Amino acid sequence: MLHFVGVPLQTLLAVGGAAAALVVTLYILKLKRRPVPVPFSRLWERILRDKEATSLFSQLKRLLSLLLQLALLALLLLALGDPRTAQNLVEGRNVVVLVDASASMQATDVSPTRLDEGKRQLTDVVRGLGGSDRMIIAQMDAAVTPLSTLTNEVSELEGALAAIKPSETRADFPRALRFATDTLRGLPNPEIIVVSDGALGQAVDPLGAVDLADTKLSFISVGEGSKNAAITGFSVRRYPLDKSRYEVMLEVTNTGKEDLDLDLVLCGDGSLTDTTRLRLKAGERLPRFYPNLSGASRTLEAKLAGVVSGSDPAPDPCKPGALVGGDDLPADDVAYALLPERRRSRIQVVTTGNMYLEAALLLDEYLDVTMVSPKRYPADGKFDVTIFDGVAPPPAPGSGHIFYLNPSGKDVPFTVDKEILDDNPNAPLGFDELDEKHPILRYTELSGAHVWRAHLLKPEKEDKVVGASVRGPMLIAGRRAGYKFVALGIDLRDTDLPVMISWPLLLLNVINDFVEEDTGYISSFATGTVWRIPAPSQLETATLVDPSGVERTVPVQDGRAVYLGQRSGIYTVRAGTDADKYETMFAANLVDPQESRIEPQKELAVGETKAGEVSGFTVGVRREIWAYLLFAVIAISVIEWLTYHRRVTV
Amino acid sequence: MGLLDFFSRGPKSLRGRTTAADDELFDDEFQRKLDYLAMVSKRVFSGAMRAERRTRKTGSGVEFADHRDYAAGDDIRAIDWSAYSRFQRLLIRLYEEEEDLSIYFILDSSSSMGFGDGEKQRHAKRICAALAYVALANLDRVTIVSATDELSGRMPETRGKARIFRIFRFLSGLKSEGHTDLEDSLKTFVAQHKRKGLAVLISDLYDAKGFEKGINVLRYNKFEPFVLHVTDPNDRSPELRGDVRVYDCESGEEREVTVTQKILERYAKAYDGYVEQVKRFCTKKQVAYYEASVDVPFDELILRVFRRGGFLR
Repeated sequence: MLHFVGVPLQTLLAVGGAAAALVVTLYILKLKRRPVPVPFSRLWERILRDKEATSLFSQLKRLLSLLLQLALLALLLLALGDPRTAQNLVEGRNVVVLVDASASMQATDVSPTRLDEGKRQLTDVVRGLGGSDRMIIAQMDAAVTPLSTLTNEVSELEGALAAIKPSETRADFPRALRFATDTLRGLPNPEIIVVSDGALGQAVDPLGAVDLADTKLSFISVGEGSKNAAITGFSVRRYPLDKSRYEVMLEVTNTGKEDLDLDLVLCGDGSLTDTTRLRLKAGERLPRFYPNLSGASRTLEAKLAGVVSGSDPAPDPCKPGALVGGDDLPADDVAYALLPERRRSRIQVVTTGNMYLEAALLLDEYLDVTMVSPKRYPADGKFDVTIFDGVAPPPAPGSGHIFYLNPSGKDVPFTVDKEILDDNPNAPLGFDELDEKHPILRYTELSGAHVWRAHLLKPEKEDKVVGASVRGPMLIAGRRAGYKFVALGIDLRDTDLPVMISWPLLLLNVINDFVEEDTGYISSFATGTVWRIPAPSQLETATLVDPSGVERTVPVQDGRAVYLGQRSGIYTVRAGTDADKYETMFAANLVDPQESRIEPQKELAVGETKAGEVSGFTVGVRREIWAYLLFAVIAISVIEWLTYHRRVTV
Repeated sequence: MGLLDFFSRGPKSLRGRTTAADDELFDDEFQRKLDYLAMVSKRVFSGAMRAERRTRKTGSGVEFADHRDYAAGDDIRAIDWSAYSRFQRLLIRLYEEEEDLSIYFILDSSSSMGFGDGEKQRHAKRICAALAYVALANLDRVTIVSATDELSGRMPETRGKARIFRIFRFLSGLKSEGHTDLEDSLKTFVAQHKRKGLAVLISDLYDAKGFEKGINVLRYNKFEPFVLHVTDPNDRSPELRGDVRVYDCESGEEREVTVTQKILERYAKAYDGYVEQVKRFCTKKQVAYYEASVDVPFDELILRVFRRGGFLR
């Protein structure tokens, strides 16, 4: 049964009757023919005599022509009426399509990739969109990126599908669902279609579980296999007391259901550092530790590759692009790390002589130490760090950051309080409270140090107390106009700290903190998170060069360039002009065991809502019959035109 | 003296007496071709075929032709006394009388000849002028009449090459109007022209009453018909399409027709049939016939006529 939702049926009948009468009248009226002179009409008479014999056929042809015109009229009127079948009288659907572009969608268990397969299936859905349906396509990875408007234009939606690019991050499913529910709020017949391999996790974010309410949830599952091994951990650190050497911790996990034979290759600065052949059982996590490595000064790269016919790895496994395969997801088979660039630090020590201090400074061969007596301060030159040992003159220009040891006087950026003595046997003087997360306390154990005499320090409001006794702060850190400082209110001769390993570590940690050279774990940024990369604080923007060489401008906030990274590899940040140029490099990795578990999920549930199969999108069938009627009108017109000009119907 | 000699005489030359229309229709190039054709005709008909035309009519010629019996009233000076002495019969000596040929050009000037861009009429005039010039150059007597359903114009008998410009002027003044009725017009023609001769009919032969009747009028009255059938490819393949009402440009008769490719093909076939019908009739009646298509240059046609013979003997 057809219902007319356009022009009402009564109106259509009235208009149709009038128009049909007009058409018939015009047809009955004799055609006024164009007069054309001929030189000798008798010749025409000869052929017209023959033609008259077929006049009955001519009449029939004329009748056919009239019927065609009436048919055209009827089709046009029907199209104006916008007829719908009863089941299609429902309002159009509003659909948000969330296409998972996370790293696992790069798996090649379906050809060419899961993402491409998902896009292919989605193409059929787009082409089966009803005329009153509207759809928006969004890419779901660490962020949600809408790639089209809410539209029913198939070309725009196909363009959006083509624009989906894979990323090397985890998909932020809750955020994507929030986007979808926000988009569909208040719209009739809302529907969310998720195209994914199902490794999406729970739809819960800090705001709580996502509530889909009455929104229909559909799921297109892609993927077949689960064969995958991944580098799930990759850390490097320099040895604090020998920064030319480093150690590497790697963790490899077989996330699939079958055993895998793999080569684990470690490359330093593009040269082979180590190769290990591994046999990983299904689900096995295998940590590997490489101590006391040297040779690489900048980049480290770990790779997993399948064993080819039991032979050795390729001759140059560290070549870019070499060693791929072995499992279904190559994206997690590579990890990167970057060692900070080593440079010599210039240290000025203002002291009347302090063996403990001088001895500790000898431990780091990358320190250029200049000893100067308080009277001859400042020494010539520019320094990264100045250590005031028992003195506190006003800092001269070029002194760099300052480490006060047992400061006194008023030319210090804080207040030196009263002297305290270890005179209470029930409460020995020492560090009772320590901010152990502070970088200058890394690897140290100051709580065991005994102190006989000290000066309490009164920090300013913005300063940080790093170590304090129950009687007050003794170790503080802070920042003043243009320089950092650390102050220890203890004379090294009034404590047993110098005989502990913690003293040189504390000293070197302070220096490293000042010159921002980290001896800790050199971990990379994780893809899919917002990176805060150190950059000159006076700048507002910096240039980020991604692993493929593409440059983009990123904002700098509080001395950090901010960027949501979605690809693993080695990045470079550049800032400033030629005279004041700043450049640093860092690594980014997809080290995400959840994303590496690529076994596809065939079902998807959000809270109580279980996703169903996609339905109601049949390619080639539109819900509006008027489109077909109009098409028929055009087709008949074309046929009429052709037959007229070929003199078939006249 | 050729035509160009006339032109070189300056402003008072014959050329100076031509009109603008003459210049267009009978331009220098045309006149140059006429000279050439006249020269070619002399070469073709030199010797036995001199320009003069002999008739069987006995008369005062010098060349003996035959004898016949004496009849009362005959000039006794013509009695062949030698024959009388041998045969005892009075025989009269007959001599071939030399006389110049009368050539009549009957030019169809009906509306159908000027149909379309009037190319048929122009072509007919050029052919007429060319043949007339050749005839004048051969010392024949030339008369031109224009025919529709009557004799609408007449240029009196003339001779001598110098009169060609008169012919030009006459032809230039002819308009294509009226409808064709060769029978009526040629009946008038034969009534007005007692002297028999060659009657060159230049026409498209679009005669609703039938072209045969007109030609037969000439035949039955002892004229020697010579048909130049002027045809135009545009008549055969008109550029018509769609629903039209065709009307005869002469009679105004109307027919409704929807012109399709098939109809056009059938029309072309009918046209070819008509031309073939004319040819068949002329062949059957031993009437000289030439198709003068406007596509074929007039000089080429004239040469073809010369080659076949029959126009000048």
